[in-house]
Amino acid sequence: MANKAKLAVMGTAGETEGLSTQAFLAAIVETSDDAIYGKTLEGVILSWNHGAERMYGYAAAEIVGRPVSILVPPSSTDEVPQILEKLKRGERVDHFETVRVKKNGESFDVSLTVSPIRDVSGRIVGASTVARDITEQKRLREELTRRAKEILDVSTPVLQVWDGVVVAPFIGTLDTQRAQQFMECLLQRIVETNASVALLDVTGVPAIDTRTAQHLIETITSVRLLGAQAVLTGVRPAIAQTLAHLGINLADVVTRSSLSAGLRVALDVLNLKISSRDGEA
Amino acid sequence: MTNQSISVVRVRDTLMVTMPADPDDVTVVALQEEVLRAMERYRPKGLVLDISAVETLDSFFARTVTETSRMVTLMGGRTVIAGMRPSVAITATQLGLTLGGTMTALTVDRALNLLSDTRPRRRLR
Repeated sequence: MANKAKLAVMGTAGETEGLSTQAFLAAIVETSDDAIYGKTLEGVILSWNHGAERMYGYAAAEIVGRPVSILVPPSSTDEVPQILEKLKRGERVDHFETVRVKKNGESFDVSLTVSPIRDVSGRIVGASTVARDITEQKRLREELTRRAKEILDVSTPVLQVWDGVVVAPFIGTLDTQRAQQFMECLLQRIVETNASVALLDVTGVPAIDTRTAQHLIETITSVRLLGAQAVLTGVRPAIAQTLAHLGINLADVVTRSSLSAGLRVALDVLNLKISSRDGEA
Repeated sequence: MTNQSISVVRVRDTLMVTMPADPDDVTVVALQEEVLRAMERYRPKGLVLDISAVETLDSFFARTVTETSRMVTLMGGRTVIAGMRPSVAITATQLGLTLGGTMTALTVDRALNLLSDTRPRRRLR
């Protein structure tokens, strides 16, 4: 506590009564939340800060003098010699993501930055390691990827609305990844349901740009290669305007303004007709 | 190089060809020769090219197939390419290999229907 008070009043010169620059730097290391420890080029631990004590569960007294390999899980023991090899060449290891084990045997994800330490003559004499616990970060990242995939999955349904007719409603904007997923989904379903016609509905698409249009054309071409026919439906006025203004050539594509009009085309292709009970269409 | 053999089978008034999984250039050229010879001999009304086993489609294959289809048309027949896999269709589209205007069908069965139908793209079910 006394140390902290002194640090707070320290001048820019970096020295104040009773606290040298060295001690000041040592205090920074000591109070850091990251685990910071020093080691020899053979991997023997020389220093161990509070952050390291908290993170790994070893007290400084019990771990100084022991090899760093006790922090490494059996599955990645070959990492240590590789890191030490790099250090001897004067290179540093930057934000290396790996797994380490605590004293209680629990393993956790860390990001390691290992830098060589040189003496006054420039000779590499050891290394400092800064380790940050990234378990939470990693979990969040995975969660995010999972969510993104979930959105991707729910946003590309392909529905069979008639024997031989599938509808693929597009919702939202189409980036390349979604377009790819959409195409794969649609083609797969066409094969599964043995569909002759696929209705690509863009009612739920707020705006179409050149790239989205390109994706649509690619999808339509692939559907045709597969042996089915694609109909673009839900072409609202705004979409029609954009498509015309962008000069996108959809001459080979059958397009309709509504899904129901598209379904009519599909029934026509299948040579089917819907009529009322009394025989009138 | 493995020697892939292709057989051109005549079923009634249609020629049937099944492509191997990974057709090499020699096979593709041989296919064209065989098909045209059979067209001359049997005068069928169409050709069904079953590519359901094909896993990769390159530009040479696509070009030769388009060409062959055109030649078959010149000799009075129609060509239907049947059973292209979704993954192959995606790759082909991305590479711009769209097989000209050659007719396509989901299955060989559908292809036969197409050929027996005078109004293409109708009554496909």
